[in-house]
Amino acid sequence: MNNKTYRRYRIGIAIFVAATMSMAVSMDNTILAFSSVIIAIAFMAVVRSKTKRIVDEREVMVRQKAAQMTYAIFAPTIGMGSLLLILLADESNYYLEAMGVVLSYLTLFLIALFSISTLYFNRKYGGGHGKE
Amino acid sequence: MHDMTQEALAEKLQVSRQTVIAIENNKYNPSLDLAFKLARMFDMPIEEIFEYEEDRDG
Repeated sequence: MNNKTYRRYRIGIAIFVAATMSMAVSMDNTILAFSSVIIAIAFMAVVRSKTKRIVDEREVMVRQKAAQMTYAIFAPTIGMGSLLLILLADESNYYLEAMGVVLSYLTLFLIALFSISTLYFNRKYGGGHGKE
Repeated sequence: MHDMTQEALAEKLQVSRQTVIAIENNKYNPSLDLAFKLARMFDMPIEEIFEYEEDRDG
């Protein structure tokens, strides 16, 4: 199976999930929703195992740039959002503070993960205090 | 020149057809590895296939 067929299957599965999900929501049927997701995951796993997918250097670069942009947008947004929630909280809507605290911990986790992975890849690819 | 489709070239280089198109259209600078592969495939020196331009984002 090549890339094109893989993409066709992926679109088909997405349509299937969207259709069954909308049906499940309109019928208020949780079992249908769960089973459609599980079927989709299983089917995708089979399709992926049968596909000889090429992930070349351009695609890797595209993913790197997308990840960079996602981080650059998401980290400040979630950080500012958490700060705003903490500042807006008062006695009538105390839950905002709890949400803000959770979001700020998530922001810290995101920044820590980014820093650790940056350090790791920097060392892996020759940065740091190696031999000169 | 070499009478080869983009698909065939992509398959030989083990990259996607989109990558071949992007290189042809000057939208993507290939790695040294891929550039050498291309040069060997066409039996030409790298400088004849690629031209160095300053201030181009890779």
